[in-house]
Amino acid sequence: MAATSGATFAATRTESPKASSERSAALILAALALPGILPAAALAQSAPDERVIALRYYDYRDWQPGVDRMSVKSPSLYAFVPLSDSLTVEGSLVYDSVSGASPLYHDAVSGASGRGIGDYRSAADAKVTKYFGGSSLAVGAAYSHEQDYISRAASVEWRTWSDDRNRTYAIGFGAAKDRINAVEGVNAPVLDQPRETYDYLLGITQVLDAASVVESSVTWSDGRGYFSDPYKLHDARPNHRRIFAWLTHYNRYFAAPGATLQLGYRYLDDSFGDRSHMLEASWVQALPYGLTLTPTIRYLTQAAAHFYRDPPFPQGFVPGGLYTADERLSAFGAVTLGLRVAKELPHRLTIDVAFNAYRQRGDWRLGGDGSPGLAKLSARWIEFGLAKRF
Amino acid sequence: MRCSRSIEALLTALAVIALAGCTLQPPKPWEKGDLARASMRFDADPLETKLTQHIYQSKEGAGGGGTVGGGGCGCN
Repeated sequence: MAATSGATFAATRTESPKASSERSAALILAALALPGILPAAALAQSAPDERVIALRYYDYRDWQPGVDRMSVKSPSLYAFVPLSDSLTVEGSLVYDSVSGASPLYHDAVSGASGRGIGDYRSAADAKVTKYFGGSSLAVGAAYSHEQDYISRAASVEWRTWSDDRNRTYAIGFGAAKDRINAVEGVNAPVLDQPRETYDYLLGITQVLDAASVVESSVTWSDGRGYFSDPYKLHDARPNHRRIFAWLTHYNRYFAAPGATLQLGYRYLDDSFGDRSHMLEASWVQALPYGLTLTPTIRYLTQAAAHFYRDPPFPQGFVPGGLYTADERLSAFGAVTLGLRVAKELPHRLTIDVAFNAYRQRGDWRLGGDGSPGLAKLSARWIEFGLAKRF
Repeated sequence: MRCSRSIEALLTALAVIALAGCTLQPPKPWEKGDLARASMRFDADPLETKLTQHIYQSKEGAGGGGTVGGGGCGCN
């Protein structure tokens, strides 16, 4: 459940150019402070009355020099339905079809990495939100199933807001019970291994002025159980993982170009040692004919886990000790460049398409002291979206 | 992870939030037209947010933040 997940769902990132009639209507509605009009994050303060159905399709692929790795095709469905003027329900279904192979150790790609070939993931989640006078209570559940992994999760989130609706506080709690069954793991069969995770969230959203809003949240995750990767040789990780994350977003609207600047920063401290900083910026530019163009850039810099060992494999491995050669736990920097085009169509339909390119390099880590000896990882994903509001 | 580092980050987060609270100029209801735009929402498309976070979570050491109860994945 998102900290600021709004009961309102903007079915699109599209904003038509500022037709004067549209702006006038928005201003009038705002002046009346009608339910559902305020920004979702700031203020999902009363139940929206708009139904939404959205379809989204992801085509994902990643590779290293000369070697194709994973390929994933992922159709998904989202629905949001107000049941009354104070009760809403929303949910989504996702199906991932996975082919290819993940690294056996470091970046040594091998089909023997097991379930990386021909796997799938199906996931579903639902959330019910009840609105009271000055607060809301949301209860959610999620289920995810892979051939070797089952996850069940539940969450509850309480939100309350100030009388002028310019500030919202959020408190959340989540729990997940996962089960790992990796029959074909290269280490040894991993059968019926549990993992339990508890998440705690505190968040605040504040309208700063008539054109800018900020949200900030801290989450604490405490997980116990099986965290090793059964498909990577000698992989042995701690059975207790604590993650602290501080996430802040800032949005500002600029009237002259008719655009919104969206900034995000996340600090993440993982007890495994892979501490990271993430910065993200988007520019949402409204264009004529109901078009919206959104370029995005994201940068992440990450430290290595304290039990990660550099190549050559299995350098640093001590039987019975903690060890991983998983390059995701190495020290690196990563850059994503994305571009989204959205268009509003008649009958409250919206379509969008996006292209994202992702690169990971050891020497892109802030300070340049990333893990050496790993092949460069690249990925790209293409998104298609269709949404209908009514 | 040293506990003190998390506490330091938490205090920094609270300080930034408090600072924002001191400098803000909250608008009146009739001044919120631009705030109501879809692009001003932090989670305008929950499905897109969720799927993109899933990609990053499968490529990087740890992911998430800002959410609770999303459940885990194999992501191998």
